[in-house]
Amino acid sequence: MGTDLDLQTPPATKAPSPVPRASRSWLWSLLIGLGILGLIGMVPLTGDISDLHTWTLILMFCVLAQSWNFIGGFTGYAAFGNVAFFGIGAYSVAILLNDHQPFWLGLIVGALIAGLFAFLLGLPVLRLKGHYFAIATLGVAEALREFSAIQNIGGPGGEVSVPFPGAGAYPTLFYVFFFAFLALALACLIITILLTRSKFGYALVAIRENEQAAEALGIATYRYKIAAFVLSAIPTGLAGGLYAYFASGFDPPTVFDVGISVEMVLLTFLGGAGTILGPVIGAIIFEYGSFQLLTSGFSAHNTLLGLAIVIITIFLPQGLVRLVEALFYKPAPGAVRTNRLREGVRRVRRFIAANGI
Amino acid sequence: MVLGQALVNWLLLGTLYAAVALGFSLVWGIMNIVNLAHGALIVLGAYVALVAFQTYHLDPFPAILIAMVVLFLVGWVVQYVAINRVIRAPFLVTFMLTFGLDLLATDLIQQHFGGDTRSINTVYSGIGLTFGSTHIAFDHVAAAVIAILLTVALSLFLGRTRTGNAILATGMDRDAASLMGISIRRTYALTFAIGAALAGAAGAMLAQFYPFFPSQGGSFTLTAFVIVVLGGLGTPWAALAGGMVFGLAETFVPLIPHVGPGYNNAIAFAMLVLVLIFRPRGILGKAFYS
Amino acid sequence: MSDALSPPMASEGAAFGASATGVPLLQLANVTKRFGGLAAVDDLSFSVCQGEILGIIGPNGAGKSTLVGLIGGALTPSAGRIVYQGQDISRRAANQRSQRGIARTFQVAQPFVGLNILENVMVGALFGRQRLNRVEALRIAHEVLERVGLAQKATLKGNELTTADRKRLEMARALATKPELLLLDEVMAGLNHTEVAQAVTLIREINQSGVTILVIEHIMRAIVGVSNRILVLHHGRKIAEDLPEQVLSDPAVIEAYLGERYAKQHQSSQMIQRQLALDLGSPDVLMGEPEQKEERK
Repeated sequence: MGTDLDLQTPPATKAPSPVPRASRSWLWSLLIGLGILGLIGMVPLTGDISDLHTWTLILMFCVLAQSWNFIGGFTGYAAFGNVAFFGIGAYSVAILLNDHQPFWLGLIVGALIAGLFAFLLGLPVLRLKGHYFAIATLGVAEALREFSAIQNIGGPGGEVSVPFPGAGAYPTLFYVFFFAFLALALACLIITILLTRSKFGYALVAIRENEQAAEALGIATYRYKIAAFVLSAIPTGLAGGLYAYFASGFDPPTVFDVGISVEMVLLTFLGGAGTILGPVIGAIIFEYGSFQLLTSGFSAHNTLLGLAIVIITIFLPQGLVRLVEALFYKPAPGAVRTNRLREGVRRVRRFIAANGI
Repeated sequence: MVLGQALVNWLLLGTLYAAVALGFSLVWGIMNIVNLAHGALIVLGAYVALVAFQTYHLDPFPAILIAMVVLFLVGWVVQYVAINRVIRAPFLVTFMLTFGLDLLATDLIQQHFGGDTRSINTVYSGIGLTFGSTHIAFDHVAAAVIAILLTVALSLFLGRTRTGNAILATGMDRDAASLMGISIRRTYALTFAIGAALAGAAGAMLAQFYPFFPSQGGSFTLTAFVIVVLGGLGTPWAALAGGMVFGLAETFVPLIPHVGPGYNNAIAFAMLVLVLIFRPRGILGKAFYS
Repeated sequence: MSDALSPPMASEGAAFGASATGVPLLQLANVTKRFGGLAAVDDLSFSVCQGEILGIIGPNGAGKSTLVGLIGGALTPSAGRIVYQGQDISRRAANQRSQRGIARTFQVAQPFVGLNILENVMVGALFGRQRLNRVEALRIAHEVLERVGLAQKATLKGNELTTADRKRLEMARALATKPELLLLDEVMAGLNHTEVAQAVTLIREINQSGVTILVIEHIMRAIVGVSNRILVLHHGRKIAEDLPEQVLSDPAVIEAYLGERYAKQHQSSQMIQRQLALDLGSPDVLMGEPEQKEERK
């Protein structure tokens, strides 16, 4: 994380000590991120609708992981109920579409309601810490699922179908959805980079690293946490709204699936929580592999997911991005450069077996 | 009378809930691990009892012991091979790891037994005494007694035996316990194994009374979590108290007009929030804010 | 801030703390903090004057760290009032107190390990009393690191430091908030002689730049050398508040602070005083172990 925070060169002082160099790692992250998203943007050129469909969903998971990263990765609050915002976005779009309102209105309303819900929910639950926060958010998502099923929101048992546009628009619309998710992923990437370079970002990282110390240094931790929660809810709500239209119908167990919350966490972890590129890389690797297995007829999806989680949490708890950073670490000033490779390997080994007894 | 029957149901449900939460509370209290695979272990216990009953024609009550032994071994291996490797990590890592184990275990059970709802029906199921409209079944009473006995046994084990004391000491201060010559790996493995065995016992007992299916684990875990928050961490008795209170809510809330059944998770969550706001240290336990 | 870079005072004496005005900056009135049935701080009243260095000592469990928590805002008092610059701040959150100019260090150093040293200190300057933008915060952070002697290590991570450097980082981070009142919670515990001497010099320099300081310490030698006045806590109560020399010869203090070991070894209080005088020359006897576990709940 630290290396993602840019430091500009301070003005020369009378001090003899070396002035810290400006870190430009955010620029690299931006370029690599643009490169990755640009490559994905070429998928429609293949003209294969099923590929397009797959990559649309992969981009959706990118967005979900990126927005989870704001609260979970930067702030360190393990939200396990972010799927609630996804569901809220989906239901908003579905209900307004069925009420013959335009799609964009539903999208905006959904994002606003998701943000407002995050704010109101954050007021009590962001006073909790650790496990308690995680379970409380999980409980909210589950309660919303039960509520929409029992109260018949949108339709009997909470099942909704969304009027799909006429058959003529059919293939074009898939491109629209693809580029909408791509734009959302790009927006999240830019927000993340701006965050790492802002005062807000420093506040969130300080809260993650040590909330008590952050408070003692004058950070209004509670407000910042709520802001981070809202920031993470809005793109999730937008993704839910897009998904509702894209899937042309859903039921409560689909859009309030705890599994989606878990995948947000897992993808972010796989790539590196609190890094700029981690969620994007994690989402692409895991979801692409997952889709490949599904299409090859592999049925035990949850076994795979479970195994992946076990292996990642044991061996890669800090994610791929930080693994690469550890390998290509910056040597301390004056260090002998020939030892660099050996030191890098040593760091990686320590990195992999970091948490055992 | 509806209320009398509800009262009897509550006593059974409350003690069974205590059994559901007992092992979960031990693992959390000693190792600071919220074991999200706890529910899957309970379900596994139920399927062990099912196999014992269907294949070996064993009565469900002795099957409780078998389930405990099997789950003890499973728990030991899981802790030794997996969880010990992340024990010093931030809580989110252990949280995710146990979630992964939960998915894995649930899916393996589903692959092996299928996703259908199963149940164990004994010949003596439901036989008991009837007072007016209130029925008290003998097997229910036996299960309630066993649940309470498990609580007593765990409490005595922790308080009175050398091994139990070692577990408690490790829970209080891992490094100090290590300096006193306690093997942390083994103590943790034993703790998790005992927690899993208690989950197995709960599963084998639940299997006699309620139908079960593989993906049920998650709701057991949420229930156990709420019970531990209600009762507080620290002692087996807190789990019993929490279980009784939770059973009370689950029994009587659906009787309230205009509410009705179906809100299990919503009730659990509402209670969770209420307790966290008004009595953050639970009914009997210690404060859990650190 | 750079005016504090002036050379340290050559000798121990009355010169430091000379800016003490006699105007109270912080006042505690009958402050009590209970944990369950135990009163960690019990009906405590005292004031800290603008510009002075007030030392607070006491044996293990005397309530020193609880007191820091109460003044810093991590804890709220069960009873009593804390008045800062004439305003009751008893119920204010820690971050608001920081914005009003109260900064603290932590007994067990708590660096942001994901950030490097420079960024750690920047956080103090970004928020705290000044609420600077990033460019200014970076400049201040660099200045403060120069001042505490950590500038060479600015790019290390928070967990790559020695104990002494961690304590320095704690002080640097607190200083970057530009405090008027600085609470130092055992910043000298666990340091060797040279490092203690460096810390004492640094504390005096900070004080001379106009910061009022509350030094909470377990090490008698260090605190006697640095404080204008000393307050002695025992079981959460104030048992003495006086000039350093007077406090040292107070029988109640000797009894409470030095405890059984001295009471048994030396029967007469004269002997104790003589011993104390010797100890101030060779401080090892009085350098207690760092009390790492006090009141951690």
